[in-house]
Amino acid sequence: MRTILSPSVAACEPRAQASGLSSLEGVGIGASVRVADVAGDDAVAIRLLEMGLTPGVMVRVAGRAPFGDPLELELRGYRLSIRRAEARRVTIHSP
Amino acid sequence: MHKLQDGQASTRLTVALLGNPNTGKSTLFSAVAGIPTRVGNFPGVTVEEKIGRLRHVGHEIDLVDLPGTYSLMAQGPDEQVAVNVLYGRQPGVPKPDVAVVVVDATNLERSLFLATQATEVGLPMVVAVSLADVSDRKGIAIDMGKLSRRLGCAVVRVAPPRGEGLDALKDAILEAPARGRPPAFSIEHDDADNGRPPVARDAIARYRAIERLLSDVVHRRPTRPLSEDRIDWLLTHRLWGTLTFAAVMLTIFSSIFWLAAPLMDLISAGVDAVAAQVGAVLPDGALRDLVVDGVMAGISGVVVFVPQIALLFFFIALLEGCGYLARAAYLMDRLLVGVGLSGKSFIPLLSSFACAIPGIMAARTIENRRDRLLTIVVAPLMSCSARLPVYLLLCGAFVPNVAVGISFLRLPAVVLASMYALGVVVAAAVAWLLSSTIFRGDPQPFVMELPGWRWPQAAVVLERAREAAWSFLASAGTVILAVSVVVWALSNYPKNEDLIASDMKAERAAVEARLIDPATPDSEREVLAEELAAFATPEGAEAARRGAIQRQSILGRTGRFIEPVVRPLGWDWRLGCAALASFPAREVVLGTLSVLYNLSPNDDTDEGTALTQRLRAARWDDTNRPVFTLPVALSVMVFFALCAQCASTLVVMARETGSWLWPVITFVYMTVLAWLGAFAIYQFGTWMGW
Repeated sequence: MRTILSPSVAACEPRAQASGLSSLEGVGIGASVRVADVAGDDAVAIRLLEMGLTPGVMVRVAGRAPFGDPLELELRGYRLSIRRAEARRVTIHSP
Repeated sequence: MHKLQDGQASTRLTVALLGNPNTGKSTLFSAVAGIPTRVGNFPGVTVEEKIGRLRHVGHEIDLVDLPGTYSLMAQGPDEQVAVNVLYGRQPGVPKPDVAVVVVDATNLERSLFLATQATEVGLPMVVAVSLADVSDRKGIAIDMGKLSRRLGCAVVRVAPPRGEGLDALKDAILEAPARGRPPAFSIEHDDADNGRPPVARDAIARYRAIERLLSDVVHRRPTRPLSEDRIDWLLTHRLWGTLTFAAVMLTIFSSIFWLAAPLMDLISAGVDAVAAQVGAVLPDGALRDLVVDGVMAGISGVVVFVPQIALLFFFIALLEGCGYLARAAYLMDRLLVGVGLSGKSFIPLLSSFACAIPGIMAARTIENRRDRLLTIVVAPLMSCSARLPVYLLLCGAFVPNVAVGISFLRLPAVVLASMYALGVVVAAAVAWLLSSTIFRGDPQPFVMELPGWRWPQAAVVLERAREAAWSFLASAGTVILAVSVVVWALSNYPKNEDLIASDMKAERAAVEARLIDPATPDSEREVLAEELAAFATPEGAEAARRGAIQRQSILGRTGRFIEPVVRPLGWDWRLGCAALASFPAREVVLGTLSVLYNLSPNDDTDEGTALTQRLRAARWDDTNRPVFTLPVALSVMVFFALCAQCASTLVVMARETGSWLWPVITFVYMTVLAWLGAFAIYQFGTWMGW
């Protein structure tokens, strides 16, 4: 079982660690980042991967809903909406 | 194009139509197969089945529209059905001969995920590259030949709005079995991924392979068309998005309310006209009463819902077709998560303010079973349009018309708004409670595609509206009709002439007694005198007779029997009777009250002036105590706000959830809440001296 960072750690430390990994949750609107990994082995993680959030793909955070949740992402030429809880699982390479 | 040669056998092919949601699959289905020949649920599950039949070159094709799915590693009943059908494991559906996978030309990478998975099923395949008209506009060029060679199957470009590619697709379908199955799409796993579960490893490797496949197949112009970006920015913007959203929702809600009303009146008038004709033909007697008052009234009660259902589904299909539905769910999600629901529950719940029936049916858009059930179970708490006449009458008659704070804010309006608010607050509380207990579980994930903007297709939109209305009429309609007839029987029998005569005498005597009584205030004498005079007229006598029949009927007796149960709410047995009679359909309450108070049921006009007067003058039997005080009016309103008095809703609930368990639970909890709420407000109000 392989996880880079547990989701809770990623949420507590949104900015750079030595490995330069943080989560999609903390990314500002309009920023483009590259996905490092999706944490977890459950159905949610699988579905995120199946929707194209795979390691190496470029993702742009297009916006957030009025109450801050969910997020609107742009990847692989389409738009996907996920909640912050799901976004927390997606670790990214710092630019 | 081939023609059927002499001696060549015509075949019948079963073709599965597979694809992601939002790829124009429904549009393609409509364009190729027209109106489906079989609609309903797949046997044994509450997943919609749609099969259409078409002929091409003398061969017959049965096109099975599979639920939109993102992956053959199924999550949820919809996707599971799609997988089952492909592997020939779905009872009632033959194993497909050909699989047509619809991919989105504007979103090729992700939609090819499913297509490449489908090559592993082992069926002859055709890939339909849909939304080609949109991709043309966006400057996306796809090399179909290369794509076809690399996938190992026929690839057809289709643009249903233009009618493009449909014949080519049908040709490809007929040729596919001879071509045989495509090779399973090869994916290479990266050793670095070895620690992951196989499904995850596959997903990552698959996308890698798709990227490689498409690298020289797709060429796009670097920028997105400006107009689309602008629309998106506006509609998901914190302020403008929310305002637009409010405007759109208000429009839909009002239309269902106002637009449907004239249609509903037309239908009622139409059925009444038919009833009158039938009544004229049949001889007087029990059969005539049964047909006219029981059956025809029942039919009217069912058919009258059709405009609202059709309108709502028309709008939903419109919003879904253009891509706005997903954005609406996105905007409302956070708010609804707070009570244990999700963004997709918003439209079903909003629609329930007009009528819970289309609202509950609209919950089909929620794939997640738990969320869907929860939404369905709280939907009846949204104060529907049938409750409005009750609120209006009681607010108008018994709520003092004083100002609250500012001069144009009046108490009756505030009370009216409070009743609506009450439904929402209680629904939120119930949802929260249920999601913390029975429906407990991890919050369901929200991973939802926001489709690109496109023009909704008229054929699809109209088809959805038609389909919804028809399925309601066919299944719910029959049960509702049966219930109406039963209620009619219960409130009209037994007709014991002696009892009826003595009842009428007693009513008349009661009015006379109050007129003689010196304690009766002058303001009421006029009303009482009118009432007494009415007994002498033919219409008045007829009304009194109807009243007597109902009071002496099974329903009436039951009302008297349960009086101890409704006394704590401040009600007398007549109110209890009216409430009982409205359990199958709350609309009848005012008519029932009219009859019980010796008015002809047609006297309950919109302002209900005659009824208002009678209610104000109503007294507890053999006393001078008024029945309707402000706390009593409030308790009646609260009861109606919270009670599930609609057999039609319960029937639809049973059909949509696949079991009678949920309607029963809903009925029980709402009735309990209604009683408690009415009790609380009456006791509190009386104690406060309102």
